[in-house]
Amino acid sequence: MLNRCKYVAVSRKPSPESAELDPGINEQDERLIGALYQAFGSRLLHHVRRATGNDHHWAEDVVQETLVRAWRHAGKLNHEPGLLWAWLLTVARRIIIDGRRRRSARPEEVEDTGLDAVSVPDESERTIAAMVVSEALERLSVEHREVIEETYLRDRTINEAAEVLRIPPGTVKSRLYYAIRALRRDLKEKGVT
Amino acid sequence: MSSPPHHEVAAYALGLLDQEDNEVFERHLVECVDCQTELTELADVPDLLDEVRNKRSPIEGRPG
Ligand SMILES: [Zn+2]
Repeated sequence: MLNRCKYVAVSRKPSPESAELDPGINEQDERLIGALYQAFGSRLLHHVRRATGNDHHWAEDVVQETLVRAWRHAGKLNHEPGLLWAWLLTVARRIIIDGRRRRSARPEEVEDTGLDAVSVPDESERTIAAMVVSEALERLSVEHREVIEETYLRDRTINEAAEVLRIPPGTVKSRLYYAIRALRRDLKEKGVT
Repeated sequence: MSSPPHHEVAAYALGLLDQEDNEVFERHLVECVDCQTELTELADVPDLLDEVRNKRSPIEGRPG
């Protein structure tokens, strides 16, 4: 079962041609995907690039896959722009997390692309953001900080975190909810979000 | 299962729900204006947390 899942994950190879290869895509669909690119592509790429640690190829694959998924959901998407954007970010994040898990599961295949040597234009700004967020995490209650740490920051699923924290998965989810709200409130007071 | 999964909006925004919960939550999201508002508000938070994780050594916390 496990092997089968792995196989499926690996076989979903991101490719710049994936839109064309999908047999379900017709000309009108291509126009919609094109419109999604127009509307969100560069903004999404900017966000995704940061989340992928500035790995451009990976980032482009993620954007491609996100917009194809958006096209698949086009019928039920709410077209309120703020929400649509938030939803796209969520889709992209799931794709990135899948990628991170695959990469850390196969450490020998992680390429040493020398990305650390690539200088990021807004590095100092990012360092400040990292500091401000770290400090905000420190100000949270232990429970709140811990649940953010043991889930998102350590690439753990809800169930994995539930085991580590010895609490039910439902509790992880609701604790995470209050933790993220508290974090956001704090950052908002600091003028970060 | 019986109560609406409002609290899952944070796990959803962080991309942490498994496939099944994700689908359940998205069905809820389409109907729930509160969760739509919250998701929009929380959209920045994962990026901000990425600043922290990118700042850490990539080796840290990895097996091996
Ligand atoms: Zn709701």
